[in-house]
Amino acid sequence: MTINDKKTPSIDEVSHALAKMIADKMEIDIATIKPESNLQELGLDSLDTFDIIFSAEDYFKIKVPNDQVNITTLYDVAILVHQLILTQKS
Amino acid sequence: MTHSSNLQRVVITGLSVVSPLGNTIVDLTKNVFAGISGIKRLDTPFVDQMDCKIAAQAQFKPEDHFTKHTYSMLDRTSQIALHTSIEAIKDANLTIDDNLKPRMGIYLGTGMGGAQSVEDGYIRLFKDGASRLKPFTVLMGMNNAAASAIALEHQLTGPNQTFSTACSSSAVAIGEASRLIRHGYADVMLAGGTEALLTFGSMKAWEALRTLAEEDANDIGASCKPFSADRTGLVLGEGAAMLVLESYEHATKRGAKIYAEIAGYGAANDCNHITQPSVDGQSATMQAALNDAGLSANTIQYINAHGTGTKLNDVTETNSIKKVFGSHAYELSVSSTKSMHGHLMGAAGALEAVITTLAVCSNKLPPTINLVHPDPECDLDYVPNVSKILPKLEYAMSNSFAFGGTGASLILKKLN
Repeated sequence: MTINDKKTPSIDEVSHALAKMIADKMEIDIATIKPESNLQELGLDSLDTFDIIFSAEDYFKIKVPNDQVNITTLYDVAILVHQLILTQKS
Repeated sequence: MTHSSNLQRVVITGLSVVSPLGNTIVDLTKNVFAGISGIKRLDTPFVDQMDCKIAAQAQFKPEDHFTKHTYSMLDRTSQIALHTSIEAIKDANLTIDDNLKPRMGIYLGTGMGGAQSVEDGYIRLFKDGASRLKPFTVLMGMNNAAASAIALEHQLTGPNQTFSTACSSSAVAIGEASRLIRHGYADVMLAGGTEALLTFGSMKAWEALRTLAEEDANDIGASCKPFSADRTGLVLGEGAAMLVLESYEHATKRGAKIYAEIAGYGAANDCNHITQPSVDGQSATMQAALNDAGLSANTIQYINAHGTGTKLNDVTETNSIKKVFGSHAYELSVSSTKSMHGHLMGAAGALEAVITTLAVCSNKLPPTINLVHPDPECDLDYVPNVSKILPKLEYAMSNSFAFGGTGASLILKKLN
């Protein structure tokens, strides 16, 4: 999975892409995943969260620094990823 | 050492396999006694890059057995091992309650662990130029990943150890697990082996050792020819095999069906050479198992040989059997089922222990197939090409020898 358009995605688009990754990984209905969803409550443990971040790095062509993984909700990941897209876009 | 009243007898109450001869005990039994070969054209995307284009693959699709969340965190090695653990416990009709959990553990053998996961990581780093690896890379590649997944699944809080002694790994695991039970450290143990090394890198490494069999020009399935004069080497295989071992007391108390008893286990190290076996090393291994069981050599009626199909192993093993068993070597029967299921490396000893157990249960000896041209240096009864009925089969031995030198022999006994 890679992003193929040159336009910077909006935070909603980032959030939706992440929700798709979570739905695929956990085999759950994407409709049950909201931006405010608690990742733990969706069934993700810390390793699963790292795995989603890893997938997001590949997809959005970004690098999430190792210390920036303090995350509770899907929206937390979306903000982090969106900011990195903006700052790491060259 | 012989059995005494304060030692527990160890029995086999559950069996399961994922193997080139089928993924159920019913299919394995049918195929192994009918002399069916599981050796085929290698079915992988990299087959054209291989000189060796044959293997004994197991047909196992993880999505048929696990959720994506479960199987995507497990290397194939762990997937097949976990599956066999679930099926073996079912076969044993065993309920693991809170009292049993601390008295039950898992001893597993594997040669190369999560080979595909390690290789995937290297491809990503060195070939694709990525700067990061999947977060699960360590957890999927480590040798104890399969045993850990099994212990987690069944909540086994007893001993959990992984043995890695190349081709004898799972025979060692079974032998050591039986000792745990015998000496009272556990009541029930899962014991077995797993291997899934039919990866591009692993197969290339094996090719480089020049021990792999040439493809038979007329019949790929006949490429592995143990004890035959025209043998050219071993055929790589993959799979997992699991046994439920239990103290006789625990098994009988719960009314479990019992396949056979593990009467003895011997391990010895062959200090001859990193790859070349010696008569001294192999015979010491078999003698150690006989001593452990307190049996004289003439009680053994059948040996499931290591029988890789290499020039050197088969003649060395023949001579080792003659050294240990003397004239009785010509009365007992020997067969190499690797002729059918290939060499499962770290899982070989466990699959062959399962097959030897089935032999003891059914009074039937599986054949050595493709034995068409007898080798004058291999002059024992190798049960050539067709299985043989042996009424009153009471004691059988299963041999495993390994690169690196660790040999292990198990003695199985019919429970009367």
